[in-house]
Amino acid sequence: MANEKKINRAGWFFIIPVASLLVIFLLYPIFYSLYLTTTRTKGIVTNFNGINNYIKLFNDPMFFLALKNTFKILFLQVPIMLTSALLFASLLNNKKIKFRGFFRTAIFLPSVTSLIAYAILFKMLFSYEGIVNNTLLSLKFIQTPLDWFSDPTLATFVLILAMVWRWTGYNMIFYLSAMQNISGDLYEAARVDGASDITSFFNITLPLLKPMILFTTVMSTIGTLQLFDEPMNLAQSGTTSSMVGPNNCFLTLSIYIYNLCFKYTPKFGYAATVSYAILVLVAILSFIQFKISSESEKTVTKKVSKSIK
Amino acid sequence: MKKILSVLLMALIVGTSLFAAGEAEATKSPITIWAWDPNFNISIMKDAAAIYQKAHPDVEFNIVEMAKADVEQKLHTNLASGTTDGLPDIVLIEDYNGLKYLNSYPGQFSDLTNKINQNDFLKSKVDVAKIGNKYYSMPFDSGVAGFFYRTDMLAEAGYTAADLNNITWDEFCDIAKEYKAKTGNYFFANSKADGGLLRIMLQSNGSWYFDKDGNPYVKDNKSLAEAMRIYKRFIDEDLAYPTNGWTEWVGSINNSTVPTITTGVWIIGSIKAASNQSGDWAVAPCPKLSASGTNASNLGGSSWYVLKNGKSNADAIDFLNTIYGANNNFYQDILVKNGAMGSYIPAFSGVNYSKADEFFGGQKVYDLLSQYAEAIPAVNVGEYTYEADAAVMANMEAYYNGQSIEETLEAIDAQLVNTIL
Repeated sequence: MANEKKINRAGWFFIIPVASLLVIFLLYPIFYSLYLTTTRTKGIVTNFNGINNYIKLFNDPMFFLALKNTFKILFLQVPIMLTSALLFASLLNNKKIKFRGFFRTAIFLPSVTSLIAYAILFKMLFSYEGIVNNTLLSLKFIQTPLDWFSDPTLATFVLILAMVWRWTGYNMIFYLSAMQNISGDLYEAARVDGASDITSFFNITLPLLKPMILFTTVMSTIGTLQLFDEPMNLAQSGTTSSMVGPNNCFLTLSIYIYNLCFKYTPKFGYAATVSYAILVLVAILSFIQFKISSESEKTVTKKVSKSIK
Repeated sequence: MKKILSVLLMALIVGTSLFAAGEAEATKSPITIWAWDPNFNISIMKDAAAIYQKAHPDVEFNIVEMAKADVEQKLHTNLASGTTDGLPDIVLIEDYNGLKYLNSYPGQFSDLTNKINQNDFLKSKVDVAKIGNKYYSMPFDSGVAGFFYRTDMLAEAGYTAADLNNITWDEFCDIAKEYKAKTGNYFFANSKADGGLLRIMLQSNGSWYFDKDGNPYVKDNKSLAEAMRIYKRFIDEDLAYPTNGWTEWVGSINNSTVPTITTGVWIIGSIKAASNQSGDWAVAPCPKLSASGTNASNLGGSSWYVLKNGKSNADAIDFLNTIYGANNNFYQDILVKNGAMGSYIPAFSGVNYSKADEFFGGQKVYDLLSQYAEAIPAVNVGEYTYEADAAVMANMEAYYNGQSIEETLEAIDAQLVNTIL
């Protein structure tokens, strides 16, 4: 008994460094930022503000614009990216394809490029006299060059295209590794039963990838809600730009927080309030995604048990 | 054994930290300066430091180059954290942001009212860092606006210098339209998202987004309504060559895509980058907004600020005053070397300011620009210029699409008031 106590004490002693680091660098900032949301700050001038920051949040057209932009990107980009990642993964999982290693590397390669470098690269590709416009012109698809970064729809298209290019390979690797864990027996059995490749994709691969699909969806959702580098770099415009992209279409929640802290008169209290809005959104979205996946898991088990009966 | 090891380890940790502390005490700390742009601010500051060191060999300098956004971000985080260790002695701050820092971090910047002679500098320039009757900045480069144009391209289209002198923005639009009809090319480049020209128009009318007391002045602001109307003309009549970002914007003049650029004097360096265009350029006063306005305005420009809690505060102030506040030769040198036009009035009568510039076909460019500079109306830029700019530009799209000016101004006002709440 005494010995156990001693071991416990030693255990506590050993976790003190990690625990204190967690308290200092994780817990303290979380609670301090929560406190900040109740203050009206301008630099170091701080006054208690009660819930006024939250009231301001609901009257702030820029916040809602940032929210709208972020969700537009989320609902367009994440499905496109994950579907194509899944498609590439299942294609490259086929043992009959030659140069699989080469294709895998090629598709994964964009995700090791620096966020800033690839954003600038896309900006150059799509500039007024860039290679995309020149190609489209010489192929006679368009009569005059498209002004990609002056039109909100075109600019959002470029942003989504860039993000899909950068992140598809990254997600593909998750799917590939999950696919390689699926036993070949299952496919063989399905083939014996006369299932086509497409049938086995939908009835074997997809259900067994479900945990991985959930994981990538949650990660991509969180990533998109925190999206910063790409729109920030694509938006760099003018000497003293007043908008983030044409008609503010690149104004994401994270960029808005940055602007509140560093571009505008520093309002750390209000910036913290917007951060908490993101936190609540991430929590809600993740909850919904978990809910959906566990629901569908139940239906799958039901189906399977039925068919066994 | 373990005990011996841990004792040794402790001794090592304590020993090194003592050693580190001892070392920091040993030397006098240098004057630390933060700024951006290696070819302009940094290069000029290095020259200034070299001149000062000749008379004060014991003073060391630590000039740190960072991107502009990084300077702002580091300054904010350092000042907000309340620790003074990481602060520089002198920092470069853009004029639109001066009051923002002064009001957000009260007591952190040195009052320079009696340390330098404010009367030696352009009034429009010292006023951006004035709180009550105290002045906090050492004014640096002027952002006096000019209407720069290609004489060869415009002569081909049938325009002379007289056609472009002291015009209004409406006349500017008419010429742009006519030029495009004649040649098929655009007359100037502008990004729809950039409020730079709008601010030039406002200040030339002695107006801003804020009134003299720094309160939002949007709803009844006739100058703002007028400037927004001109911006709408740019769009409705397709007058501006669309560019996105600095590189494309400067590229439009360097590649002879457009024959004119209306902006701050600091563009001269970029104009001269296209050495094959030497002799083909000229400058005229920037267009005015209405008959009652002036043909003088400003865009951008920065000033030096001294941090009160810097380690070499007194040296820093003396350095700025000796070089930037009194050394006329220094201003003549940086004008030639860096194309930097200061806001130090005695320098305007110096020898280099009155030289004819071959690149500009023998025009005395800086002499003209310094005349414009002295006519710039001083405005209170307040501390929320970027907030106001964002509010205006965010609501412009609706205005372009037919929303009335009254409704648009009301929407801008509502957004601005909520933002600065």
